[in-house]
Amino acid sequence: MKKYKVALVLLSMLLVIALVAGCGGKTGTSGDENKGGASGDTIKIGFMGALTGNEASYGIETLKGMKMAAEDLNKEGGVLGKKIEIVESDHGSKQTEAAAVVQKMISKDRVVAIVGDPTTGKTKLAAPICQQNKVVLLSAGAVGPGVVELGDYIFRDTLLDAVAAPAVTDYLVNKLGWKKVAIVTSTNNDYSVGLTKIFEEALAKHNAQIVDRESIQDGDQDFSAQVTRIKQARPDGIIFTGYYTEGGLFMKEVRKQGLDLKMAGGDGLLSPVLWKLGGDAVEGSMVYTGFAADPANAAPQTREFIKKYQAANDNKLPDMFSAQGYDAVMLLARAMKEANSTDPSKFKDALAKTRDYPGVSGTLTFLPNREPVKSPVYLLEVKNQQFSIKEALPTEVPKA
Amino acid sequence: MLLQQIINGLTLGATYALIALGYTMVYGIIQLINFAHGDIYMIGAFIGVAAVALFHQNFFLTLATAMLACVVLGMTIERVAYRPLRRAPRLNLLITTIGVSIFLETFMTVLKGPQPTGFPPVLKNVTLRVGTLEFSSIQLVILLVSVALMVGLQFIVKYTKIGKAMRAASEDYDTASLMGININRVISFTFAIGSALAAAGGVLVGIYFNSVSPYMGVTAGLKAFVAAVLGGIGNIPGAMLGGLLLGLAEVFGVAAGFSTYKDAIAFTLLIIILLVRPTGLLGRPIQRKV
Repeated sequence: MKKYKVALVLLSMLLVIALVAGCGGKTGTSGDENKGGASGDTIKIGFMGALTGNEASYGIETLKGMKMAAEDLNKEGGVLGKKIEIVESDHGSKQTEAAAVVQKMISKDRVVAIVGDPTTGKTKLAAPICQQNKVVLLSAGAVGPGVVELGDYIFRDTLLDAVAAPAVTDYLVNKLGWKKVAIVTSTNNDYSVGLTKIFEEALAKHNAQIVDRESIQDGDQDFSAQVTRIKQARPDGIIFTGYYTEGGLFMKEVRKQGLDLKMAGGDGLLSPVLWKLGGDAVEGSMVYTGFAADPANAAPQTREFIKKYQAANDNKLPDMFSAQGYDAVMLLARAMKEANSTDPSKFKDALAKTRDYPGVSGTLTFLPNREPVKSPVYLLEVKNQQFSIKEALPTEVPKA
Repeated sequence: MLLQQIINGLTLGATYALIALGYTMVYGIIQLINFAHGDIYMIGAFIGVAAVALFHQNFFLTLATAMLACVVLGMTIERVAYRPLRRAPRLNLLITTIGVSIFLETFMTVLKGPQPTGFPPVLKNVTLRVGTLEFSSIQLVILLVSVALMVGLQFIVKYTKIGKAMRAASEDYDTASLMGININRVISFTFAIGSALAAAGGVLVGIYFNSVSPYMGVTAGLKAFVAAVLGGIGNIPGAMLGGLLLGLAEVFGVAAGFSTYKDAIAFTLLIIILLVRPTGLLGRPIQRKV
C-alpha cells in the first residue's frame, strides 16, 4: 500500500510539472504569434503541400525550391527590409487534411501568401479559403482548369495543360503518327479528368481517332480488365492522364499482356516512382513538363539555379516542382517590392501585372484573367530509367 | 476477350480467396472476425520484398520465407493479443483485432514510409499464347500456387489429426476441449495456417501488381472478408468460391465500363447475397440444440 501512495504522489507531481511546462510553452508561442505576419520583421510565406503520402515527391521538391528562393532573397537583405520566412506544413496527401492546414497557416501563422498546392484538386480546395481571408494563393503546380476563376487572390505559375497538351498532341499525331489513341483517365482525380478533356479536344482538332476510353481510380492496383480492352481496340499509343503511381503500374500491366505500346501524359507522371514501379515497361514513355534541367540550353538564371540546386543536393538535377517553387517565392517578392507593401490586397495587383518574367522555370506572363502562359514545353522520354529531353515544343498563347 | 477477362478475374479472385480462407477458419473456430488478417497479408508482401531485395532468394524460397515469418507473426499475435481475452465479451476481442491492424499498418509506415514500393523482379514475365488467348506467366503461377495451397489446406483439414481437431472445435468448442482436444493448440494452428495463406497471397499480389504499401491490407482485407461472407463464413470451400466469384464480378464490372464503381461491386454483391441467402452461398443455417 505504501508503495502505491508514493507512486501516486510522484505521478501527481509529474502531472503538475507537465501542466506548468505546457502552459509555459503556450505563452511562448502566443507571444510569437503577435509578432508574426507582415507586421513583424519577417514576411511569412506558407508552403502547402504533401511531404508524406502519395504526392510527397511533388511537395518535397516545391519546398526545396521555395527555401532556396528565401535564402537568396534574405542574402540580399530580404524584401522591403524584412526577412522572408517559409512556414512549412504537411497534409500527407490527404484531401481532408489540406483544408485544415490552410486554415492553420492563415489564422495561426498569419502568412501573407501561400505557395501551393502542387496538385489541382487541393489547390481548388484551398482557393476559396484563401480568397475569403484575403491571402494570396500561388500554386506552383496546379495545371488543371478552373483554378484562377476561384478569385482574384488566386494565381499559379505553371505551364497550363490547355497550353501544353495541344502542342504535345500535335507532336504525337504529326511526328509520331498516332492516328488511333486510347485515353486512360483516373476518375477520382480532378487533374486527370480535366486533362482528358483537353486532350480529347486537341485530338479532335488534329483528326486523330479515340478508339478506346478507359477509366481507373487513384489507388487502384489491378488494371488487367482495362488493358485487355485496350488490346482489343488496337491503338497506336496510350494517353494516360493520371499520376505516376498508377501510370507505372498500368504500363507494367500493358507489357504483361504482351502489348508494345507507348504512353504519353502530363507532368502528373513526372516522378522517379514511375520507373521504380514500372521498370522496363515505362521505357519510352513520354511526359511533358514546363521545366527540364538542361544546363546546355538553359537561360542564364536557370543555369545558375541548376548549379545552386546541384551544390545543395548531391549533384542531383532540380525538377519542375523545385524550379516553380523557386519562381513562386521570387514572383511574390517581386510583387511586394513593386507594390511597396506586404499587404496581400495591394501586392496581388502588382503580381497580376507580371509580363515576360524571366523565371528559372521559363518565361512567364500573366494573361488578363491571371492565367499564366509559359514557353517552351519540354517533352521528356524515359530512357535507361531517367527522364531525358526528347523535344522542346513551342507554345501558342491561348485566346483569353 | 471474354476468356481473357475470365483469366484476369480468376487471378484476382484467387488472391482474395487465399486471404478469405484465414478469415473463415478463424471465424469457424472461435467466432472471431480477425480484422488484422489483411495486415498480415501486407506484412507477408513486405517480407517477400525483403527476401528478394536483401537475400536474392528465388520465387519458391521467397514464398516459403514470407509464409514462415507470418506463421510466427500470426501465432504471436494470437498468443499475445487474443488469447488473454478469449473469455472476455466478444466485442472486446473484435476491437483488439482492429487495434492490432492499426498497429501493424503504422509500424510498416514508420519502417518503410507510406509510398508504395515496387517488388524486385523475381519471376520472369513471359506472355503465353494459346490460340488467340494471351496471358502472362505470372497469372499462371498465381493460379497454380493458389490452387496448390487450397488443395493442401483441404488435405490438412480432411485427413490429418489436427484437421480433425479443427473440425471438432468448429462444431463445438467447449465439448471438443472436454473430449481431450488441446484447444489452444488448435487455435494456434488455425492462426498459423491462415497467416501462411495470407502471406502467400501478399507475395503473389506484390509480384502481380508490382506494388507493396503499408495500407494494401485494408481494401484487400475488406474484400476478402466480403468473399468469406459471400461463400458462407466458417466454410472453407465457401471462402474459395466467394473469392473467385468476387474477383470475376469485379473484373467484369470494370470490363463493362463501371471502373468507378469497382469497390462498390463487392459490397453490392454482399448485400444481394445476404438478402437472398443470409448464410452465404455454401453456409448452413446454424442449429443450436438447447
